[in-house]
Order: sequence, then C-alpha cells, then structure tokens
Amino acid sequence: MSAATKEKEPLFSAKNRKLLTNPINLNNPITVQVLGICSALAVTAKLKPAFVMAVSVIVVTAFANLIISLLRNGIPPRIRIIVQLVVIASLVILVDQLLKAFVYDVSRQLSVFVGLIITNCIVMGRLEAFAMGNKPWPSLLDGIGNGLGYSLILIMVGFVRELFGSGTIWGYHVIPQSFYDLGYRNNGFMILPPMALIIVGIIIWIQRSRNPELVEEK
Amino acid sequence: MYSNAYIFRYAGIMVILVAAVLSAAAMLLKPMQERNEAVDKMTSILKAAGFEDVNAKNAIDLFNSTITNMIVINQDGEVVDDFTGAGKEKSKAFGLNLKEQLYNKSMKRPFELPIFKANKNGETIYIIPMRGVGLWGPVWGNIALRDDFNTVIGVTFDHKSETPGLGAEITTPIFTDQFPGKTLFDDNGKFVSIKVVKGGAANLDASMRNHAVDAISGGTITSNGVSDMIRNVLESYEPYIKKIG
Amino acid sequence: MQEIFSIFVKSIFVDNMIFAYFLGMCSYLAVSKTVNTSVGLGIAVVFVLGITVPVDYLLNEFVLKPGALAWLSKDFADVDLSFLSFIVFIAVIASMVQLVEMVVEKFSPALYSSLGIFLPLIAVNCAILGGSLFMQEREYQSLEQATAFGLGSGIGWFLAIVGIAAIREKIRYSHIPAPLRGLGITFIITGLMGIAFMSFLGIKL
Repeated sequence: MSAATKEKEPLFSAKNRKLLTNPINLNNPITVQVLGICSALAVTAKLKPAFVMAVSVIVVTAFANLIISLLRNGIPPRIRIIVQLVVIASLVILVDQLLKAFVYDVSRQLSVFVGLIITNCIVMGRLEAFAMGNKPWPSLLDGIGNGLGYSLILIMVGFVRELFGSGTIWGYHVIPQSFYDLGYRNNGFMILPPMALIIVGIIIWIQRSRNPELVEEK
Repeated sequence: MYSNAYIFRYAGIMVILVAAVLSAAAMLLKPMQERNEAVDKMTSILKAAGFEDVNAKNAIDLFNSTITNMIVINQDGEVVDDFTGAGKEKSKAFGLNLKEQLYNKSMKRPFELPIFKANKNGETIYIIPMRGVGLWGPVWGNIALRDDFNTVIGVTFDHKSETPGLGAEITTPIFTDQFPGKTLFDDNGKFVSIKVVKGGAANLDASMRNHAVDAISGGTITSNGVSDMIRNVLESYEPYIKKIG
Repeated sequence: MQEIFSIFVKSIFVDNMIFAYFLGMCSYLAVSKTVNTSVGLGIAVVFVLGITVPVDYLLNEFVLKPGALAWLSKDFADVDLSFLSFIVFIAVIASMVQLVEMVVEKFSPALYSSLGIFLPLIAVNCAILGGSLFMQEREYQSLEQATAFGLGSGIGWFLAIVGIAAIREKIRYSHIPAPLRGLGITFIITGLMGIAFMSFLGIKL
C-alpha cells in the first residue's frame, strides 16, 4: 500500500511544507536546536557578507542532505561519519572556489569562514538526524528549510548590526544626515564581535516569549 | 553487514570520484581566480598612482600601458630584476611575496622588494607596495612617489579584518586624501617617514607637519600599524634611493 | 622567541577563539553546564589543537601550498594543491582525534575515562578546524609559531568555557525571566565576557 500512496503524495504536501517552514521558527537550528552558531556570527557585522554566507550555507545543507540521502542505503555504517565529512567538505570547496571566481571581494571578506561551514553543526546534524533515514526529496526540503532558518537569524543580526553600527543597509546610507546633525551617532559598539552574541540572546528572548512551549525547564 | 572489502571499495571509489570533481573544478576556475587576484592588486597600485577611473575591466590594460618597469631590488639597493616586456603580471616583481620578504628583513636575512616605475602623462612616478599589521590582522597598501623619491602622490590602504567604522576607515578618502604632498625626507635629506599622529598633525612643530597625517579616532592601533608599516617598508628602499638620487 | 611569546599571548587573550571569532560555540554552549565537564572538554581541545595545528602546518608547507611540492622534484614546482586544504585538514583532524583517543586510552586510562565522550565530539568542533584555517591564512613562518598559536588558541578556549561554566553554576540560583533562561542568558553573558576580554586589545607585545 505504501508505494501507491506515496507516489500520489504531492511534491508540496502539508507534511513536506512543514519540513520547509518548521525550521524557520519553531525548530530553528540556531535558537532552538543550538546548532551552527560557530561559523556564522563573525560575518554579521555587515549585511552583505551575512547574506552571501547564508546562501552558501543553504546550498551546502541542501545538497549535502540530497547526496547523503541518495547514498543512504549504500553507506557502510562504520565509515559513515567520514563519508559525510567528505561530501560536505567537497561541497564547501566547490562553493569556496565559485565565490573566489565570481564574487572575489565578498570571498575576501568571508575569508576562512566559508571553510568553517564544514564543521557547521547544522550540516552534520541534519545529515545524521534526517538525511540518513529519509527519501531524497524530503531531505532536500529539510536541508533548504534548515538553511533558511539559519539564514533568517544571520540576516536579522546583520541588519541590526549594520543599521545601528554603520548607519547603512547593504552599504547604502539610510539614516538621514539630519539625524546626525541632531546629535545622533553610529553605535560603534554594535560592530564589535560581542554584540552579535547579545543580539542573538535577545532574539532568543523574544522568540521564547512568543512561543512559551520553547522555554527551558529550570 | 558490510564486508571489509565492500568498505574499502566504497572508500576507494568515493575518493577517486571526489578528487576528480574537485580537481576539475579547481582547474576550470583557476584562471578566473588568478585574474581576480591580479586585477585586485593592479587596481590598488593604479589607484595609488592617481588613476581614479580604474575598474575591474580596464585594470590589466591600463596597468600594462602605464607601468614601464617592474623592478626588484635587494637589501643593498641593487637592482636584481628589471622587467619591461608585456604581460607584467608574470614578472618577478609582481609575484614577490611581500610578507615573506619583510619577515626575512626582520630576521636580518637577505631580502628582495619590488618597485614599480610608471609613466603618467609624461611624468615618471614610482609605486611601492607595503604590508604591515593592524589590530586584528594584516594591513597593506601602495604608496606612489614622485621621481624625487620624496613627495607622495597618493596612497591606497586595505586590510583583512580591521574593525568596521573604526580601524577600517583607513581605506576611505578621509584618511588617504591626507597623504598627497607629504614628504618622506626632511630638509637635510634624513629619512623621517610619514607618521600617523593621534590628536592632529596640525598641532605638531612646523618641521614635522609635512611628515605627518591625522590618525583615525577610535582606531589607534590600526593607525599605529599603518605608521609602522610605512616606516618599515620605505626604510628598506633607502639604499636604493640613495644610489639613484 | 619574543615573536613566539607574543603569538601565544595574543591567541589566548586577544584573538580568543570564542570571544573574537565565535568558534566552537556549539560544544561551548552544550557542555558548559558544570565546571567539571568543561574542564575535561577544555583540556581535550588544548590537546588536539596543540597537535593538529603543527601537523597541518607541515602538510600545508610541504604538500598543499603553491609550489610546496618543489622538494620532491623540480617538475612539481608549479603544482598548487591549496584547493584541497579543507578536505586534508578535516581528515587530519578526524584521524588525529582517533589517534589521540587510542594513545590516551592505552597510557592513561584515568584521563581517558574523564575525557571519555568528549574526544570524538572534538572532530566537529569548529575551533579545531578554525585553528588550522587561521594558521594557513595568517601564513605563520615557522613550526614554533604555528605550535604556539595552536596551544594558545586551545588555552583561550579552555579559559572561556571554564569561565562560562562557573558563571552558569552560580546563575542557576538567580531569578531570570523565563524566556531568557538557559540559552538566551548564556549568549548574553558570553557577549559581556567578550566585551571584558576586549580590554586585552591594548596589550602591546
């Protein structure tokens, strides 16, 4: 029975849509699953590198999930972790090479953090938790969904830090000169690394106030 | 369960496949990446020399038509290599690793440094690439000098990871526009470099005012790094300048 | 010598893996609930960083760098394998972790049982791969410098995780707004610790 019903299941059934949307809020990889904070926050001082990083992570999680899910029945369990690492590392190298060839100045800003996508726990975590046991299409969606959830936080942090830290968005000045004339100053503090952590802390606070089921037990 | 033979076969095929894909990608994209790097370097050199309208498209042509000599000198100021042909990005001077050479200098070992001679509207100018350390990582740049090897025409700076809004401001015109017209040597021909001074260059003695620019407020360590970089790099050219002058 | 000391101190306090680059945050957040376990993980990280960074340095110097293979024969002087560095570094880290685990198990069962589950976890700790990548990017000039950097970064990470664990042990008795409990407050405290660590920026070595 399962073969017949599964074939009929539409590509964007309610279940599959959930795979895509759940990680964006209720099961967000950063604020709820606590995965993949490492390589991310250092690139959020400006919106543009944060955006490029976000796209790179979506590409890597999606394709890593897809590839591992296609291979899942042939991977010998004993070398599972190594196979996963090799797939991830190869994808990351491809992304890095493409960035260097086509958007050179952004790749210089990201420097080593592209390489760190390899040890980004989101990718590994989703491979272990999802792709190893699911079909390719749901795995691809799960990868994209988790990548999006991660991107959302990254872009929020990047937006706040660039707006208050430099008075610009995407490099364009948005805070009018008249504000500065009235005594408004860019908050140089926002640009320093520790503020990224504090902003994520506040995002978690807001999210958990709105979704009380996420609050941790004492 | 999977047999050992299967595991080895699996691993072997995977390694070959991955290696093939990655090498192919690296080989295909390599020319573009190298071009990007060369263009970036050339743009910075040309900007220092005062070519404002240089961009990624015309950088290579403009570089090859304006730069006449790609010279390499050694620690005693002797010319080791003088490249004048076409395809300047292949010259020894262009490929020299500044960081390695400056490290050799700090260890009191022999070193070689590049200097680019250019022809801008009939005037001969010299451009010297620089490299040093800021707050978080390396800072680098280029300085263009008149043929008296004394007066600055222009500078560019760049950095890896200085604090945006503070130290990173060294790349902006607010900082770099202070340099043109400053001089490296005092009236007696002694090398004094150009200092980045906190609290304003205007408050200095008249004799020093020509050898100093204002630091970036809030970017003290980066400013000091730039100051040290200019002195450290340019003093290595003193023997060469003495020889030529 | 002075250079090496300066790299060592800088990598502990100024370029701190956690506070300046957020590397190794996942295990930092997950394991910092008590001081005891964080000391164990911290020591393991110092250990592994102290070994993998020099090993990766040698590999980078003699295999991966453009022209690095010139010592084999003149024909290889143009070979540039640097595009393979990610995969080589992660392979070195994974196998080093395995090796360290076996050595520790053989010679010091006591240490092994206290490090226990943390050793395998370290293979996917971003701080370890980050250490090797920073080493490559900053182009350290000698093996000593690379080792000093590896050890220093490890000790910096150790300090950070033990510090936050001590604070989290105490904070359990404080009255924190419910949505902020756990993860949220840990992020904010880490941020504040980072600000405190920034005062080390003024160190001139």
